Amino acid sequence: MSAVDYGRRGWVRLMLVAGFIFLYFPILSLIVFSFNDSKRNVTWRGFTLAYYEKALANESLHQALSNSLLIAGWTTVVATVIGTMLGLSLQRYRFRGKGVFESWVHLPIVVPEVCFGVALMVFFAAIRLPLGLTTVILSHIAFSIPFVAVVIRARMASFDPALEEAAHDLGASRWQSFRHVTLPHLMVGIVASALLVATLSLDDFVITFFTSGPGATTLPLKIYSMARFSVTPEINAASTVLMALTVMLVLGAVAIQTRWRR
Amino acid sequence: MSFGQAISSRRQLLAGAGAALGVTLLPWRAQAEEARLNVYNWDTYIGATTLETFAAATGVSVQYDLFASNEELFAKLQAGNPGYDVIVPSDYMIESMIALDMLVPLDHAQLPNLRHLDPDPNFSDPAFNPGNRFAVPYLWGTMGIGYRKSAGPRPDSWATVFESDAYAGRIALLDDPRAMLGMALKYLGYSMNSIDAAQIAAARDVIIAAKPRIKTFAPDSGQDMLLAGDVDLAVEWSGDIVQVMQEDPDLDYVIPSQGGSVWMDTLAIPKGAPHLENAHAFINHIYDPAVNAEIARITRYPTPNLAAKALIDVADRDNPAIYPPAEVIATSETLIDVGDAARLYDEAWTVIQAA
Amino acid sequence: MESWRRDKAGFTILTLPASVWLLLFFTLPLTLVWVYSFGERGPHGQTEFTVSLANYIRALEWIHLGVIWKSLMIAVVVMLICLVLGFPMALGIAFAAPRWRTPLLVLVMLPFWTNLLVRTYAWVAVLRDRGHINGVLEWLHGLLGGAPEAFEPLPLLYNQTAVMIGLVHVHLPFLVLPLYAAMARLDWQLLEASLDLGANQWRTLRSVLLPLVMPGLVTGCLLVFVLALGSFLTPDLLGGTDSMMIGNLIAREFGGARDWPFGAALSFLLVYAAFAALWLRASLGGGRA
Repeated sequence: MSAVDYGRRGWVRLMLVAGFIFLYFPILSLIVFSFNDSKRNVTWRGFTLAYYEKALANESLHQALSNSLLIAGWTTVVATVIGTMLGLSLQRYRFRGKGVFESWVHLPIVVPEVCFGVALMVFFAAIRLPLGLTTVILSHIAFSIPFVAVVIRARMASFDPALEEAAHDLGASRWQSFRHVTLPHLMVGIVASALLVATLSLDDFVITFFTSGPGATTLPLKIYSMARFSVTPEINAASTVLMALTVMLVLGAVAIQTRWRR
Repeated sequence: MSFGQAISSRRQLLAGAGAALGVTLLPWRAQAEEARLNVYNWDTYIGATTLETFAAATGVSVQYDLFASNEELFAKLQAGNPGYDVIVPSDYMIESMIALDMLVPLDHAQLPNLRHLDPDPNFSDPAFNPGNRFAVPYLWGTMGIGYRKSAGPRPDSWATVFESDAYAGRIALLDDPRAMLGMALKYLGYSMNSIDAAQIAAARDVIIAAKPRIKTFAPDSGQDMLLAGDVDLAVEWSGDIVQVMQEDPDLDYVIPSQGGSVWMDTLAIPKGAPHLENAHAFINHIYDPAVNAEIARITRYPTPNLAAKALIDVADRDNPAIYPPAEVIATSETLIDVGDAARLYDEAWTVIQAA
Repeated sequence: MESWRRDKAGFTILTLPASVWLLLFFTLPLTLVWVYSFGERGPHGQTEFTVSLANYIRALEWIHLGVIWKSLMIAVVVMLICLVLGFPMALGIAFAAPRWRTPLLVLVMLPFWTNLLVRTYAWVAVLRDRGHINGVLEWLHGLLGGAPEAFEPLPLLYNQTAVMIGLVHVHLPFLVLPLYAAMARLDWQLLEASLDLGANQWRTLRSVLLPLVMPGLVTGCLLVFVLALGSFLTPDLLGGTDSMMIGNLIAREFGGARDWPFGAALSFLLVYAAFAALWLRASLGGGRA
């Protein structure tokens, strides 16, 4: 093995495995207890699929899930595009007041979510935009943009701008140099930030809470109100189903990607 | 023209006018509310069939959303009603909402089933909502102590929670400033709605002194901790404890001698509700004895609807955890909004948490 | 890096959409709440608009500063633990065979497609007195011949330890992802060159790899720190009587206490401080990317 191949180093592998055990221990507990035959799901009482039936038949859960997916979809597309452009701009250009601008752009990450959520709610009321799916999507995009910019900048830090200049010198147009030289390097960052945004959006609770209206309940909101009253295995079942769907989705995406590459 | 002609022409005129009026009214009638309703309620706080029977009876489909605290409800409505027709605020929240003009006065003419309501003034004419003008009672309950019988003495006094070592390290208090400070106030012999800074400070100190014996402040999961064996004593709402009592007969619920708190949730219509008629129909539907009895049976909370009460399980009716005897209620108090003094409670709670 | 004047069109196209969006859906709303912070809580919890510094003065009271300090400490510890755990993970994924990278990344993200609340309740199930960890310990105790009554469960829940475990669990990907993005497609030749020149593995890691991935590392650390600082659900559910963080206080002011002006003042204290820190970093960082 190459001396640099950290992927094969013992301690790296050990920490990787340890990290995944830490991440997944409670998740496995979650999955196992979704089959628990007990209303309050505290001790193991027996195996049952009843709560899966309940979760799959729960119409409001379906609605919440489709809302969440819709919102996450729109948010990921728009925020990744806009945020990548912003990240590129920050990496590429010098301008007066850049320090202030940069701080301003990163501010949404820092503002406590409760404060941000209330601010958005008050704002939408002031401009008379009724709370619903639209306001949630607008809000999600707003808090996602800085995350994308941040990841893209970190990614572009390892990019040598001389490469793009060289392409340009060799006769390629600006767009062509961007597309064939910069973009491939950027792709990893774009994918990483898209994943991040999708996750943030799917799991967001606080901001969504303040900006949703009748019929715009998302999965986190729904599960939150279910869990506040009784942590039944139905919630575990719903979460397990969601995870399974996600895994299938991603496996499908990877399969398509490999096939497309061939 | 002759008299007969005059009359007939008058009749024709009236008929014509009537027809014209009918025609102009027709589009107005056709614009009667769409068959939808947006309800905003606590979770697991309705019967299993309530919405279906309503849809079957009226053809109105219900969008049913959930919230988890009065403050969430208030926050959502404060900046303008996002479209909810029926909400379920608690007693003290109604006070604030009335004062801030956030509610639509109910049209009792559209609520004939209201006649089944318990005539006791606490229900028919509460101080925070005279004449049930802006809201009608939904379900009520108490707050007290849930405990594990085999783990210690029956907590007949708040001293068991705040002073005694009987349950040391195995106690969960409710993570609710007004509720817990209120109980400490009652333990000290004051009113749970005190606005006296010295009294509130004394209550705060009682809880701080008790902190070493307390495991945690549970936001809503005290009953789960009790069931799981994490704690042996939890200050909680009656319905939550009743639900876990069903799963474990070793658990019990008691309201201490100094009293606990009595609360009531109500049905109300916020200003700006798009479906007023359907909202009234829904409230009326909930007051139907059969429907109400089913709600009571599923949620295990006491209902103020006398006709429904006659239809529920005898076991539930005789259960003192669900329907506490009058002497017990007499010592308990209802939470009322304390206006500017709320800040005293809030600051006291911060000190407690940071201590 | 070039001056924007050399490519005005490019600069505008790239920068305008995000700026407009953030102006409309971030700056304007926040300005409204900023105005709130100078207001007053009315007797029914509504906000009355005045011009008063009372909320800020109250926010700077010793007791509130204490809460902020404690939250800062917890956030720092969480960040460090995430770093220790996350750096090797990012390394492992970045240097894994290409076909394993995306699946591993997805595996890192997957827990985060589970609802935060559900995950936290799962931790409760793991850490509680009769939970999984204590269950295993109790079984071991019995196996080693101990009497059942003599077994004392580890107090793993309803204290700051539990809160930190929960916070690390929630925020780990925020460190792994940016760090991975910085590590992936790193020029291995640089590392190999370092080794060829006689440096050992650790030296190479420290002096060559680390500086190269520093932007990603700093990004990840800052993200974790800031997000952990503002969290309130996790401390709420996993914490005990000693675990109030500034996020809980702010949430309570906007929630149960219905004192939005004070909540706004507290939030903006954090925002001012963060803005200053970010500005400092950007200015000191100069024109470097």
